[in-house]
Amino acid sequence: MTAIDTAIRAAAAEIALIGVTKSYDAKNTIIPPIDVTLRPGEFTVVLGPSGCGKSTLLQMIAGLERVSAGRIVIGGREVQDLEPKHRGCAMVFQNYALYPHMTVAENMAYSLKVSGVSKAERAERVGTVAKMLGLADYLTRKPSQLSGGQRQRVAIGRAIIREPGVLLFDEPLSNLDAQLRHDMRVELAELHRRIGATSVFVTHDQVEAMTLADRILILNKGHIEQFDTPKAIYHNPASVFVAKFIGSPPMNILQVEGDGSVLRLADGQVVANYSGIGKFQLGIRPEDIAVNEGGSIKTEIRYREDLGSHEILETKIAEQNLRIAMPFGVEIDTTQTLSLSFPQARLHLFDGETGRAIANAFGDAHSASVKEYQ
Amino acid sequence: MSSESSMFSHRWLPVLLLAPLMLLIVLFFYVPVFQAFYWSFFLEQPFGGGSEFVGLQNFQRVLSDPEFWGATGRTVIFMLTASSLAVVVPLMLAIAADRKIGMSYPARNILVWPKGIAGASIGVVFAFIFNPFVGLMAPLNSLFPGLWNPGIDGTDAFITLVAAHVWSGIPFNFVILLAGLRSIPPTMYQAAAMDGAGPWRRIFDVQLPLIMPQLFLTFVLEFTESITSVFALIDTITGGGPGGSTTLLVYKIYVDGFRGFDLSGASTQTAILMVFVLILAACQFFFLGRRINYER
Repeated sequence: MTAIDTAIRAAAAEIALIGVTKSYDAKNTIIPPIDVTLRPGEFTVVLGPSGCGKSTLLQMIAGLERVSAGRIVIGGREVQDLEPKHRGCAMVFQNYALYPHMTVAENMAYSLKVSGVSKAERAERVGTVAKMLGLADYLTRKPSQLSGGQRQRVAIGRAIIREPGVLLFDEPLSNLDAQLRHDMRVELAELHRRIGATSVFVTHDQVEAMTLADRILILNKGHIEQFDTPKAIYHNPASVFVAKFIGSPPMNILQVEGDGSVLRLADGQVVANYSGIGKFQLGIRPEDIAVNEGGSIKTEIRYREDLGSHEILETKIAEQNLRIAMPFGVEIDTTQTLSLSFPQARLHLFDGETGRAIANAFGDAHSASVKEYQ
Repeated sequence: MSSESSMFSHRWLPVLLLAPLMLLIVLFFYVPVFQAFYWSFFLEQPFGGGSEFVGLQNFQRVLSDPEFWGATGRTVIFMLTASSLAVVVPLMLAIAADRKIGMSYPARNILVWPKGIAGASIGVVFAFIFNPFVGLMAPLNSLFPGLWNPGIDGTDAFITLVAAHVWSGIPFNFVILLAGLRSIPPTMYQAAAMDGAGPWRRIFDVQLPLIMPQLFLTFVLEFTESITSVFALIDTITGGGPGGSTTLLVYKIYVDGFRGFDLSGASTQTAILMVFVLILAACQFFFLGRRINYER
């Protein structure tokens, strides 16, 4: 660890949300009671579609939105009734929210200035953070003279300069172009490793979630669908919602019916052995489907997408869409009916009504490695 | 993307479109301005019948007249107090209205209405409001006799003028400043709140710096307008009295020219006033305007 790291390394704080609720009126509940604990120093990504309440959740932690009920405990202190400045959180905003009339140095030092830190110390800490973020040459510039990536760095610098115990990110990368987003992702991961503050990162981008998170919290209409490591979420999605949300292309979900011994599609094809009776949803990832001559499942190819490294086949099976990812170099006769088989160990079974996962339906071997996180 | 020249390819169309406005401006602005300057070098007969070129004699006469300097001094004092208040009061209203208080939408609408009232009407209304016997101050006057009487006390009369001017200036400045405040993105306040700045600190560190263009605009317009538009108020409220204490330059010009029939003296003072206003506006742009940050 270098001198720079120790200079801005913060004491990470645990965040506990206990029965936290947000509603604007009796009918309009944004977030039903939520209970979750984020460990000190953990990088949590809150993932969900727009309107799922993830930004509201972040703003409640920050103190920019009031909680309707429940308690927020940061570092052992109840903070739900405190002003943002007394919570020990810093925040990075989606549109950067830099002060346009201040220079880069003034932007980063503003919080120190407000809290009465001396001019000399402000300059020293701005110097340290600027060096760390590669902004040392831009300190006298105004935000309008910076590129998008530089502005985002200033916003991050402004957040970390106070050595907060908690860092909050509200979709900070969504205004950047694809290349820059990737670079900033790498930088953020590195930064988190060096600073160690408990971080909450809100996004709707599953790639950001998969790459940055220690644990991903998936929100759907304010409910926690699943809160687990990226690996566990990918391999053991807790619901159809999670299964469809994570992975690109997303997991195939087929409506099947169980007769006590096998699961059948609507056209009668048997896709798996299972002892349950009734309606189920069967999930299989496009890359887990095995295409082979002897496969018992037949499907029609409708469209073929060549992505270079692999190919995506869009097929139809019992009036339902099925995507298959094929490794590069496998020759396929697209005019023929395709024969497939679904490896039992790669199948996911969900309840037909609730969409919740049915654990160990097929004796999940691949989930053993991720059990320890649950 | 179409450039301006491709939008108006017709050569004479822009000229034709501009012509009516240019005609009005020339007829009612440039010609009178030129005439005022022209007459300031002539001694004009009060009832017509020729004029005589006198060079700079009119200026010598006006500039050595203590009444002219008195009126100029009062004009500057009025300009500084009235125009500052006419920006600061709407600024406070706008900051309040910007914080989503209940009824702020109808309030924003209603606050604009005074803009439609003529200066003379405002004058008549304020003459009543500040009347020492029936107005707002009447109860105070019965407690402390002689405390408030704009008809006798020059300072009281001056305060009445300032109040009327500030009131008439609220709508326009309020709209401009509120528009400036509304255009500040809400995340800016959130960022400042996260940085530890309370509501008051945010006013001075975030809101005011970010509405500098709007503040500058209102100040420039107020400074120049307070000098000229006060005429209607003086004419209806004080008539320049008591004892000339509210005779500002613009009113003195009117009295000299149309009551005293000193047409040359009035023209000369008009020319001086015009140059003064021009220099003032130029100074504001030169010293302040360049330092305004228009970046968002």
